[in-house]
Amino acid sequence: MDFLSPVIAGFGVVFQPENLFYCLLGVTLGMLIGVLPGLGPAATIAVLLPITYNIEPTAAIIMLAGIFYGAQYGGTITSVLLRLPGEASSVVTAIDGHALARQGRAGSALGIAAIGSFIGGTVAIIGLTFVAPLVAGFALDFGPSEYTALALLGILLITTLGTGSPLKSILMATVGLLLATIGQDPLEGVSRLTFGVDQLLDGIDFVIVAMGLFGVGEILYNLESLRKPAEPAAAVGSVYPSRAELRESKGAITRGSVLGFLLGILPGGGATMSSMVAYAVEKRASKQPEKFGKGAIQGVAGPETANNAAATSSFIPLLTLGIPANATMAIMFGALLIQGITPGPALVAEKPDLFWGVVNSMYVGNLLLLAMSMPLIGVFVRILRVRQAILAPLTILVTMIGVYTVRMSVFDMFIMVGLGVVGYLMKKAGFEPGPLVLAFVLGGLLESSFRRSMRIFGGDVTGFLTQPITATLLAVIVLIVVVPPVLRLSKRKRQRQEENVAA
Amino acid sequence: MRIGVLLAAVALAASACAVQGGSSDKGAAASGYPNKPVEFTVPTDPGGSTDLLTRALAKSIEEPLGAKAVVVNKPGANGKIAGKDVFGSKPDGYRIAVMPQSLFAIGPLMLDDADPVKLTDMTFIKGLAVEDYVLVVPADSKYKTLKDLVSASDVKYGTTGPGTGSQLSQTLLFGLGKTNAAPVPFDGGAPTVTAVLGGKVDAASVQIAEGFKQVQAGKMRALAVFSDKRLEAMPEVPTAKESGYDVVVDQRRFVAGPAGLPAEVRDKLAAAIDKAIASPEYNEILKANYIGRWDANGDQVGAQLNESLKRFETLAKDLGIDLKAQQQ
Repeated sequence: MDFLSPVIAGFGVVFQPENLFYCLLGVTLGMLIGVLPGLGPAATIAVLLPITYNIEPTAAIIMLAGIFYGAQYGGTITSVLLRLPGEASSVVTAIDGHALARQGRAGSALGIAAIGSFIGGTVAIIGLTFVAPLVAGFALDFGPSEYTALALLGILLITTLGTGSPLKSILMATVGLLLATIGQDPLEGVSRLTFGVDQLLDGIDFVIVAMGLFGVGEILYNLESLRKPAEPAAAVGSVYPSRAELRESKGAITRGSVLGFLLGILPGGGATMSSMVAYAVEKRASKQPEKFGKGAIQGVAGPETANNAAATSSFIPLLTLGIPANATMAIMFGALLIQGITPGPALVAEKPDLFWGVVNSMYVGNLLLLAMSMPLIGVFVRILRVRQAILAPLTILVTMIGVYTVRMSVFDMFIMVGLGVVGYLMKKAGFEPGPLVLAFVLGGLLESSFRRSMRIFGGDVTGFLTQPITATLLAVIVLIVVVPPVLRLSKRKRQRQEENVAA
Repeated sequence: MRIGVLLAAVALAASACAVQGGSSDKGAAASGYPNKPVEFTVPTDPGGSTDLLTRALAKSIEEPLGAKAVVVNKPGANGKIAGKDVFGSKPDGYRIAVMPQSLFAIGPLMLDDADPVKLTDMTFIKGLAVEDYVLVVPADSKYKTLKDLVSASDVKYGTTGPGTGSQLSQTLLFGLGKTNAAPVPFDGGAPTVTAVLGGKVDAASVQIAEGFKQVQAGKMRALAVFSDKRLEAMPEVPTAKESGYDVVVDQRRFVAGPAGLPAEVRDKLAAAIDKAIASPEYNEILKANYIGRWDANGDQVGAQLNESLKRFETLAKDLGIDLKAQQQ
């Protein structure tokens, strides 16, 4: 058990009062910015970087890491209460979480999310401690062709997200894919669908699409009911999830932890992908899939557990390979560089204090978050008691500020209002924003990965089948997405034939 | 009626005074510059090397400049969004930007843009940094030297994106070597390095900071640097020039304001930047990111940009490479 001694020494580092203080500071800040839509952990960490110059390196990284995983807790709150997903990884939470809130079960949803996040995060830290070097290579095996298959799988799973007809979901997903092509072509830099507007050259930011379609659309829709006699405010219900709800979520939390840990290791969209896959898996595992979209607690527990596990495991490629898995990790990379530490294969051996100090601080941080968020849920849930006439304009204000902070652009605020109107009309016509937003997120990945693969394969599509991981993923797609509908169709055909024969 | 005329006259006089007051204020501003915070616009997302560099600069410049310095991120379109915004504003020295050479010297060669930011839109204030490119292959690659790679029959090379020095350096290199090579553009340095480490591409040109540690750890092999002379960071790696391929490509960053910036404002800013870039904090960032200093005054910056653009253009023309078509 020799290798465990630096791990234990790491706890000594964490429990130094200074480090504990920075851990608390980090997670508190993280939770606050998670609540504010738009202002994400990446921007916050970047702005705070100059302050960390004068802090000791371990303490600085402990604080910055706390901001990152703390934000995952906070992001759930607006998703559930206001249907405002602040980050791509909490879009699916908005679907069932908000439905639960409308039934007066917001407390349960937030409670389960906090508990799931805690368990998912903790499982991922344990994984990070014991198997980090073993699984790190996994990230390198994923190249363009593997991402193509993964994105394809994700997009095909979207049809399971909608509660309405699959046809409507597919239609919305197509619109999402189309929106994702706006901006400079990722391989050649040619402008597409920008209509000569420079602000569109980099495409539309995800936050704008999600907040416009989900948030603003929802608010506009709710305004319709203002003229009708006010509904009695939804009862807030118990703040803590009941025993039955905990029992129902047990499986979802277990599956979410494992899924999140594995997918989080992949560079690029691991957390988003894991929350989506977790949602789709829960819907398939459930005995009552029809409850999804109408307030299934597993639809909150699975994805929320998965995105926290993924947030933690995304440290693995950074700390063991020196590869940042997402934008926030890229900034963390910069933060380490400033402190004179270059993340890479040699980090664990060269700086065991820092490595294990940071890893172990996550146990403490997760505990702090759980301890903070459980009592605070009661406070947050009261937001639902505020009258629409006051809450709606306030929400719009917060959303507008959030959108502006993404890249200091007034143009983006107009785009979001426009998308909000589209979201409202969609809701009137019975179309769901979920498939659109998720197809939008995955569309960019699918397109660029596919085209990169085709260049690597020299234009030969069969090249995909020569890559073992890609071929396996494609086989999975055929098995779970294509086969069941075909079987159903042929069954129906057979029935019809039998009817014909009978008649 | 009379009262109306009177009122109008008073209003007119008042506004005339206001205008006069305004203009005298402006006169004072030029000599009393700066009397409010100066905004440094960064054309990238927070966290990258340019952002870190600018934040360190902003922190160290407040004292010599005698004003607060605020950093604003306006990412997008390789820096064009920030350029259009800042260089379209009033040339009063309160809004300046850190710009990349690639937007002016490489972008126009590789990308179509009907409405680019032009050199004449700017007043150059000061050169900041120069970042060099290194050509890397996976550690287990069969290519041991630059010659091996260039004479290979089929090469897939990773680039950090369209319109970057990474793409240009390799396009020119493989063009000179008449290699059958196809670019695979990624979105930035990190994914490109990941693709090399995973053996998904045969080679890639990345900035030193992006590849240094992996080369040091023995996970990648550096075949050449695209600088004029060998680099301090990796002295054992030959330049492409030494290996017989005269390709010198780098990324430079400089500070510029809108065209028509008064000379005394420009000089005041340049002098303050001079003091700021001598600070230990700023130099720490340079060192940690393997970024070189670019000590150039405003005029030298303009000359360098023009020179780079011409050099790349001529090189491509001599080789008979259509850089725009190369990307297809």
